[in-house]
Order: sequence, then structure tokens, then C-alpha cells
Amino acid sequence: MKNTEFTRRAFLKSGVATSAALAAAPSLLNGAMAQEADLAPYKAAKIDWQQFKGETITVAVIPATYFDNLITLAPQFEALTGITVRFEKIPPAQIRQKSVIDLTSKTGTYATHAADPMYYSLYAANKWVEPMETYLSDASLTDPAWFKLDDIVPAWRNANSVDGKLLGMPYDGEVTLQVYRKDLYDAKGLKPADDLQTFVSNAAAVHNPDARVWGAALRGVAGAGQNVYIYSSLFREFGGQWFKDGRLTVNGPEAEAALTWYVDLMRKYAPAAAQNWNWPDIADAFSQGTIGTYVDAHSSASVVNNPEKSKVIGKVAYARWPKGPSGKRVTSIWNWGFPINAALPDKRKKATWLFIQWAACAETQARTAHRFAGPAKRSGVNRISIWQDPAYVGLMRGFGDNFVEATLASLQDDTDVDWRPRVPQWPAIGDTLATAIQSALAGQATAKAALDEAQKRIEPMMRG
Amino acid sequence: MIDKRFRIAAVIGISLVFLLAWVFPIVWSVMNSLKTEQDVLAYPPKFLFAPTLAAYRDVLFGSGSILPNLLSSFIISIGTTIVTMIMAVPAAYALARLRVPGKRFAGFYVLATQMLPPVGIIIPYFLILRNIGWMDTYQGIILIYLSFSLPFAIWLLVSYFEDIPFEMEEAAYIDGASRWKTLWRIIIPQVRGGIAVTVVFVFLNAWNEFLFAVVLSGNTVRPVTIAMFNFVSVEQTLWTKLAAVSVLAMLPVIVLGIVAQKHIVKGLTVGAVKGGGRR
Repeated sequence: MKNTEFTRRAFLKSGVATSAALAAAPSLLNGAMAQEADLAPYKAAKIDWQQFKGETITVAVIPATYFDNLITLAPQFEALTGITVRFEKIPPAQIRQKSVIDLTSKTGTYATHAADPMYYSLYAANKWVEPMETYLSDASLTDPAWFKLDDIVPAWRNANSVDGKLLGMPYDGEVTLQVYRKDLYDAKGLKPADDLQTFVSNAAAVHNPDARVWGAALRGVAGAGQNVYIYSSLFREFGGQWFKDGRLTVNGPEAEAALTWYVDLMRKYAPAAAQNWNWPDIADAFSQGTIGTYVDAHSSASVVNNPEKSKVIGKVAYARWPKGPSGKRVTSIWNWGFPINAALPDKRKKATWLFIQWAACAETQARTAHRFAGPAKRSGVNRISIWQDPAYVGLMRGFGDNFVEATLASLQDDTDVDWRPRVPQWPAIGDTLATAIQSALAGQATAKAALDEAQKRIEPMMRG
Repeated sequence: MIDKRFRIAAVIGISLVFLLAWVFPIVWSVMNSLKTEQDVLAYPPKFLFAPTLAAYRDVLFGSGSILPNLLSSFIISIGTTIVTMIMAVPAAYALARLRVPGKRFAGFYVLATQMLPPVGIIIPYFLILRNIGWMDTYQGIILIYLSFSLPFAIWLLVSYFEDIPFEMEEAAYIDGASRWKTLWRIIIPQVRGGIAVTVVFVFLNAWNEFLFAVVLSGNTVRPVTIAMFNFVSVEQTLWTKLAAVSVLAMLPVIVLGIVAQKHIVKGLTVGAVKGGGRR
């Protein structure tokens, strides 16, 4: 593939965001891609890929282009290993529920699944998944020199580790960035915010609801992966510590300051409906030119650059999270990783590892990203080396000014493994915190009252 | 007179407000399904636009076609409805008419199964289906759906059976009809309205079910309620396609409702003419 000379126009023509056409690819590519020559880069690994020939594994993923690309290439894995892979697509909200049911009942339905990093503490506490180390250190299963674990984004590996043990291999991930309208900022002589104060003053400067431009928007809808997702960065940037004297603490002065900042920004400069918005809604609004800036996943760049609906193509630029009062920038370290289900028979665990190794290796990451033949290219590849590959970087530059630089800098310098409190009780705690934030955003409670209430509810959960 | 006219106007006015509130989301979905992505997001909202069938073409014949999912939904819903009705009609009749020992307890038991929150029983169901190898099979899903559609259908039908005057049955017995024949020839035609209502509800519940379907189904059995989520991805919401699938998924239920309405109304009038009291 010759992608080195990608211009923005060519990039957009290729329809990065048109996830609609994505599954057309499998039938066309299956035959061509499973050929012997294609497997050579994998066979360079000093392991016997065929040792578990005949095994069948089921993999649960969510409907998303980055997994669709992987599914498209799966025949190559089957040709390489003789292992049959069945994929099952489950909506993101239910994949957690369904995989927990599978793990708790020890039925081994899913050999691996796209896992939320915040669930590993729960998995570890119940020994539901296998430590990756067992497989990484087995010379018959892994060729370390070929797999190059260290090349996988360290922040995402940390997010998927509990007590230093890696439990799920990152496949695709994201960081949160400041996304802003270059044209509006230029017109007012503004620069992207370096700190949260400037973020607010920038929002105020471009805020003009009469012309249907609101200064800023952040995720408002309740959810451990929605409003808490953004709030957690703020909390840490305001100097908040999730644990005080070994006790999980969600209230206190830093928490109040962070939530007050969030509430004020949303009240003053976001559209009223943003209280109930999730990231696709923010990206949709931004793409219609009605939002000056937002902070959200870097992957939303594909939506705001979708030629089918965006009106702001060519006017988008990116920057790292603004610094908080503590002087820190804290981005999200979200990723979808693949753990190994501990309820599987031994041989199938190893077969699953071969699948995970194949999916996470540099060759497959490249083949599902810039070298993918279909229209949808991934923006969340797991390898630092690919983020430095001119072919990939050239493609990603199409998303707008400073996209690659901001993403890489955030990944390397702005991550914080304690971004959200990593405890087995997270699913319930995350929900409680989400409700508290929502009640503050909706004006039903002051920041202090909402957080104190959340603290009261969380304490028994931590004891139980 | 003015007072009466005012009252009629008020009733019509209030009805219109309600109608508008109910109809608007449906009309809006239909409109969105005919728009382009750009028109969906347009402000002010567009009521006049160049309609396109692109979204329908994509969801029906595109790569991620939902036709297999619609078929899946039909098999599940029709299967559930047929089995439910075959079992619920005699059961309801027995509970309404026969002197069965433990009838009251049986009636309560049937109702009690409805009292458990579905989330509470999902893990046991998962384990049961898993152990008998019925995960991701039609018989598995239908079996689970029966567990809530059957009690519901029985309870709904019992009240209809109870409304039929016993004298009608007596007349049939005097003419020499057996109990089965009486049930089939005399009683069932009388409760046709009730049966139509029950069929609609059972079908509707099975058609719209999501929670059990998402946990107990897989790649083979994949109803449209779950497939629909492919258009609300983590990356973006594909509004036009989502609207098109919603409209397509609404159609069978609306058609069934219209067909059943004829029987429902007929059932009501039959009752009205003949009269009859609760026994």
C-alpha cells in the first residue's frame, strides 16, 4: 500500500468514517488475503502457529470499525493457525454484562472478549482471567523478539494490569484531547487552552448562541464511561486523590472544585441539552459547527471529519488536555483489550493466546490500520512504532492540525494509571458517581451535596 | 348546549394533544429514515426535504443487511405466540371454569412468576440453556419467552372466559356437545376479541424483547432489536439507518394491530349484544 502521500482530500475521499461500507470488505478480501505469501511476516516468529490446529474459539467484540477490520482479516489467522474463530458482536453496554455472566458462571462461552480496563480489578479478584505473563514467557507460545510487548502503548498496558500483572492485551485504544475550531479561534486571536482557566475563557470568547455557536461541551449523560469519564480527568487535574488513608474518597475540596468547574462550564457555555449528551452527540453537534471546543476521545476525529455530514472539515485542530490547578494534564487511558477466560480448557487457552498475539502484533495492527484495503482506517492502533511510521502518520494528519502530535504527547506524558479508581466494585461505584455528577449538572444538588451523598453510598460498597 | 359543545371541543382538543405526543416520535422516525445524514442534523429541523430511500437500501440490501435479523425476530415471535396460545387457551379455560383442586394456588403461582425482576433470573436462564445446549437456538429463546408470555396470556384470557355466561355452555351440553366441542365451537368464538388482544400482546412482547435476547442469543439467533444497535456504534450514531430499521421493525406490529383490531372490535360488540355477567 502506498499511503505515504496521503493528502487530507484523498484521506477523506477514502471515507475514513463511513462505517457503513465496512463489512462489504470481508467477502472481497477473504480469498485474496489468506494466501500463503501474506503469512510470511507471521511465520518469522519462532513459534509453531499450527500447534492447536482444529480448536474453535468464540470472541465477543462490539460493533465498531476497528473490530470489523480485524474480523475481515480473521481468515488469515485461520489459515496461519488452523484455529477457527467465531466472532460475536454485542452492543457496548451489554458486552460487559454478558461477559460477566459468562465469567461468573464459568461456562467458557467466550474465549476472549473486548474488555473494559475498569473491569480487570473485578476479574482479578475472582481469578476469572489468566495472567498474560504465563503465555508471554512460554517460549513455545511466544517469540518475544518478534512480538515486542514493549512496543505496545505502556499506558494502555498499565491500565490493563492489576498489581503489576497484565491481564488483557490492548488491541485498540484512545486518549482524550482538546478538539477546537481553528477558524473561530483564529478570528478571535485565541490559542488552544494550556490550562483549564483559558479553556473557559476561550469558550466564553467564541460563545454566541444567537449565531448558534456554543462555547464548549463535555459529556453530560450519566454513566461510568460517560460523565465520569471526563470528570475523572478533572478530578485528578484538580489534585484529587481517589484513595485517602487507603479509603476510597470521592468527596472533599478537590472533588468539589473539579465538579463545580464542570457544572459552571456546562451551565454557561454548553447547549442546555448537553446535560444528556454522550460523545456521539457532542461530535455530531461539533460537526454541524455549533460547538467551539470539546474534550473527548481522539477517535471522535473521524466523526467530525466525516464528509457525509460534517460542515467543519478543514477547520478542526487538536491540543492536549489543558492543565489543571495541580499543574497536571490527565487524559483517559481507555482501550479495548483481550483477556483469556480462565474457565477454558488448557489447550483452548493457548489457542486463544495465539489469537490475541496475532491481533495485537505489529503486522496485524498495520494491516487493520493504514494498510487496510477497506474504507475505514483505525485511529487507535496499539503500537508506538506504528504511531511513528510515516505511512500511518501521514494518513492520520488528514484529521487536522496537530492531531498526531497531540495524541502521541498525551499517550506518552499525560496518562495517569489512577485516572479512575481501580477497584473490583468499580461498576457499582462508577454508576453512583455518575448519578452524583448528573444531579449536580442538572442543578438538583450542589457539587458538595452530590459528592457527599455519593461518598455515603460508596462506603458500604467498599466494605461489602 | 354551549356547555356541551365546549365539552366536546375540550375532549377533542385534549385527545389531539395526546395523539400528537404519541404520533410525533413515529412521524419523526419515518422522516429521518428518508433523509440524508446531513438533513437529520440540520437546524432548524427540516420538514421539507428531498426524500431518499438510501437508508432503506443500505439496511435491507447493504453489507450489514437486517433481513436475517427480521427473519430471526419473526421466528421467535411467531413461535412464541403459537406455543403460548396453544397452552394458554385451555389453561385459562380450566382456571375460569373447571373445579380443579388447587386452582387458586395455581392462579397465584402463575402470577408469581411474573413478579421476579427479569435481571434476577437471567443468570439461571443462561446456565440452564448453556447446560442443555440450547444457547443461541430458537427453541431456547422461545422456551425462555414462554416463561413470561404464558402467565401473562393465561391471566389475560381468564378474565375473558369468566365473562361468558355459563348458560351458553349449558345450552351446548344439552344439545349433546362434549366439553372440547363446546370450548372449540361456542366459547372460543365468544372470546375471539380476548384472544386477538392476547396474540397482539404476546407477539409484541416477544418482538420487542431485548434483555434476554442479548444475553441468550448469539450469531445464529439475532433478533432485530439487537441488530439495531449496530447503528449506534461507539464511534457514531448512524441516524438515518437507525430510523430506517426502527420503521421496518415497527411495521409488522402495526400490521398485526390493524388486523387484530377488527376482531377486537367484533369481540366487544358480540359481548355487548348478548350481555352476560361475571360468574
